[in-house]
Amino acid sequence: MKPLKIGITGVRGIVGETFTPEVAVGFAQAFATYLDSGRILVCRDTRLSGPMVRSAVVAGLLAAGCEVIDLGICPTPSLQLAVGWLKADGGIAVTAGHNPAQWSALKFVRGDGLYLNPLQAEELLDIYHQGEFAKATWDEIQPAIQYQDPIEHHIDLLKNAFDTTAIKARRLKVAVDCCNGACSLLIPRWLAEVGCEFLAINADLNGAFPHRPEPTPETMAQLSAVVKAGHADIGFAHDADGERLGIVTELGEPLSEESTLALASRIRLEQGAGAIVTNVSTTGAIEKIAARYGGSVVRTQVGQTYIAEAMFEHNAVLGGEGSGGVTVPQIHLTHDSAAAVGIILEGLARSGERVSDVVRQLPRLFMLKHNLAVEPNRLYSVLQDFRVAIEREQPAYDLTDGIKIELPEGWIHVRASNTESMIRVIVEAEDATKARRLLDWARDRLNK
Amino acid sequence: MSLSSALVHQIMRPIPTLKISISGVRGVIGESLTPTLLTRFAQAFGTYVGARTIVIGRDPRTSGEMVKQAVVAGLLSSGCRILDIGMCPVPTIQLLVRHYRAHGGIAITASHNPAEWNALKFIGQGGFFLNTGQARELLDIYHQGEYTRVGGAEMREVVEASGVTDLHIQTILEVLGPLPTRQKKLRVVLDACNGAGSLVGPKLLAALGAEVIPINVTPNGSFPRPAEPLAENLGDLCAAVKAQQADVGFAQDMDADRLAIVSEEGVAIGEEYTLLLATLKVLGKHPGPVVANLSTTSALQEVVSRFGCPVFLSKIGEANVTEEMQKQNAVIGGEGNGGVIYPRINFARDSLVGMALILHLLAETGQTITELVNTLPRFAMIKEKLVCPSDKIAAVLRMLRREYAAYPMDLRDGVKVSLPNGWFLVRGSNTEPIIRLTAEAEREADARAIIDSVYSRVRECLS
Repeated sequence: MKPLKIGITGVRGIVGETFTPEVAVGFAQAFATYLDSGRILVCRDTRLSGPMVRSAVVAGLLAAGCEVIDLGICPTPSLQLAVGWLKADGGIAVTAGHNPAQWSALKFVRGDGLYLNPLQAEELLDIYHQGEFAKATWDEIQPAIQYQDPIEHHIDLLKNAFDTTAIKARRLKVAVDCCNGACSLLIPRWLAEVGCEFLAINADLNGAFPHRPEPTPETMAQLSAVVKAGHADIGFAHDADGERLGIVTELGEPLSEESTLALASRIRLEQGAGAIVTNVSTTGAIEKIAARYGGSVVRTQVGQTYIAEAMFEHNAVLGGEGSGGVTVPQIHLTHDSAAAVGIILEGLARSGERVSDVVRQLPRLFMLKHNLAVEPNRLYSVLQDFRVAIEREQPAYDLTDGIKIELPEGWIHVRASNTESMIRVIVEAEDATKARRLLDWARDRLNK
Repeated sequence: MSLSSALVHQIMRPIPTLKISISGVRGVIGESLTPTLLTRFAQAFGTYVGARTIVIGRDPRTSGEMVKQAVVAGLLSSGCRILDIGMCPVPTIQLLVRHYRAHGGIAITASHNPAEWNALKFIGQGGFFLNTGQARELLDIYHQGEYTRVGGAEMREVVEASGVTDLHIQTILEVLGPLPTRQKKLRVVLDACNGAGSLVGPKLLAALGAEVIPINVTPNGSFPRPAEPLAENLGDLCAAVKAQQADVGFAQDMDADRLAIVSEEGVAIGEEYTLLLATLKVLGKHPGPVVANLSTTSALQEVVSRFGCPVFLSKIGEANVTEEMQKQNAVIGGEGNGGVIYPRINFARDSLVGMALILHLLAETGQTITELVNTLPRFAMIKEKLVCPSDKIAAVLRMLRREYAAYPMDLRDGVKVSLPNGWFLVRGSNTEPIIRLTAEAEREADARAIIDSVYSRVRECLS
């Protein structure tokens, strides 16, 4: 079975197989019907399938009577900010985020710049499946597309949110890997704006990803070499559409993607106590940091939309996920790797610390992540079997999202991915041996 | 169900607004011509042609951008490279397919259909519209629904080409040259119907050395008049020619393949005369075979025989005419609806080529349009159409074959019957759910009598 994921985070699939022009056209029509047409923004990342999917989306939107503003290639957060700026009713980002190059996806943004919440996403799916879309007649249809560049506006908001004077004064040297993605257009400009000397690699828009567009220690080897060779103060790695951020210390040590939120939390809470929102899969280090600085932690289901809603509800000072996505509420309630860069540079500038110093003070926990490929039609039965298998041994578990089990030596989280046809198993303990033992325990009960 | 309620049912059923046929796919925007249908047709075409270079262009209809985006998505998905030449006449697309040795083209235009329609017309190698066999193959691929789909890594680019109409103008000038210098330039009023010829027409006429007075040259998707350049639609042009004391008036349709002429007296001479005058010009210098379709005026036969050349009649439709032209090695061809095909410049119905030929004829002969028309044999042609559900067409044609069995018939395209005092042709349209009736005779009264009797028989058969 070939993967096509139609779910609450949008629609994802492999171009050339399941993600066809018809799917993109249909979802664009459904989204336009859901929003009752209006003004819709469209952007894409640098994937080679981007022009095809974008054209299909534009055709669907125009046919349904929308006014289309094309933002070209830009990070998804830039589109989310442009929704308010251009008084749009919504937006569609053509990007599969951190998925491999052959994937594409549509992400649906509301009139307030946030993703559709699960209830709204379900409504959208119902409209898509019903297949009865708004249709503009010849005298209603828009005869042309408009074009805008959202990057300048994004940078203006970033400048207003951070202490750029302090950052400029520290004169940091920054290495950055844009993964030849949409951040190539934003991050170098943003770093120049705050007076950083920067070494940018993979900052072409050619759509060829030099590595998987997911900032993990494995994908940051090249960046780590650049940091060392260029004597940079820090290295930043971005995904394809500007949501996730990975960090390399000045010693060239690539940090786990879990550390990005931990680092940002420590910087933010140092400036004042408040609530941090994260998902149930993210490192327990966040609680330890919050305890140290008098903050609190709210845990949600996995997914930006849950983080955003909880941040709003709890008036949180920061949000994020263990994937490297950080949400800085001064800018907007969505993961934004440029904002994450801002908060970290500002923290380093104000404290004068080196990034490795800050990392050394973070709680040390050991996490293992394991992905189990499962046919899409068996995902939930595999999960259900796992629940049955553990029920007798471990009657206490958390069902916020998938199954999370707290054990004395650490925790285990087993859930279906929102974006790919796989089951994600995450365990965290104080050391590698304990973590390995937890993972084996979980895998034994999954592999039956 | 009683007989009467069955009849009511038959009459009440709405006639579909979608027409998928060998001439392409046409439909009404906001009803049947959806982006999904369009993107699937583009994928079918991409699958049919293979992952090659395809030229696309469109007329100025308001739905043009939507249709184009759907087509681009479909072609890219099937691995094609796209040369997007923007808003331009259909013959420019055909010329460019040939010029760039592209493997095909898609013209986004519903030519003379009203503003709410749009369509895809498929062009094969050499700039020819797909012929019947090729079009059937394409339709089979469309219906089978298994299209070539490539991943991002094999996807190719969209190249936006500008200035392509200049190439078109240049080609015309290379073959025909500018008009001979005269004391007084020829004054031309051009009515482009706000169509795809709006921008290129005035440029061509100026480049030829004529004085141009353009009307309806704002390609914004509004239709200042019905798009077909029929005499009854050209009131504004006739008035402008008179008021401006012009030598000639030219009227194009929305996609600039057809051309109609208004005389210096402000009279629309009828679109049948476009091909006659163009033929007069071409055969004067290059005698050779001429091809036209079955419904073209008999006057063509007379004109061509003056030069001792043969005429061959083909089925209706540009693809049929060009195919026959290749077979007969024709020097000129076309259709009575104002479509002139002059293969030395473009193997397509091309109003720009038509205008250049007519202006050269005026300049060479020094005669007026009226004088030229007066040298031509006069026939009275009457055209009618009737709304007709497609399932009734066969019955109508059967009835006519039976009723007129005593007369010589040509059954290649509908039913064409030669009567002692004229002829008539009845056929189902390829593009609309209508049946077309054409009758011609030397005398107006005879033509009227023929069409009246055929019309009433067809109506009777339909009711």
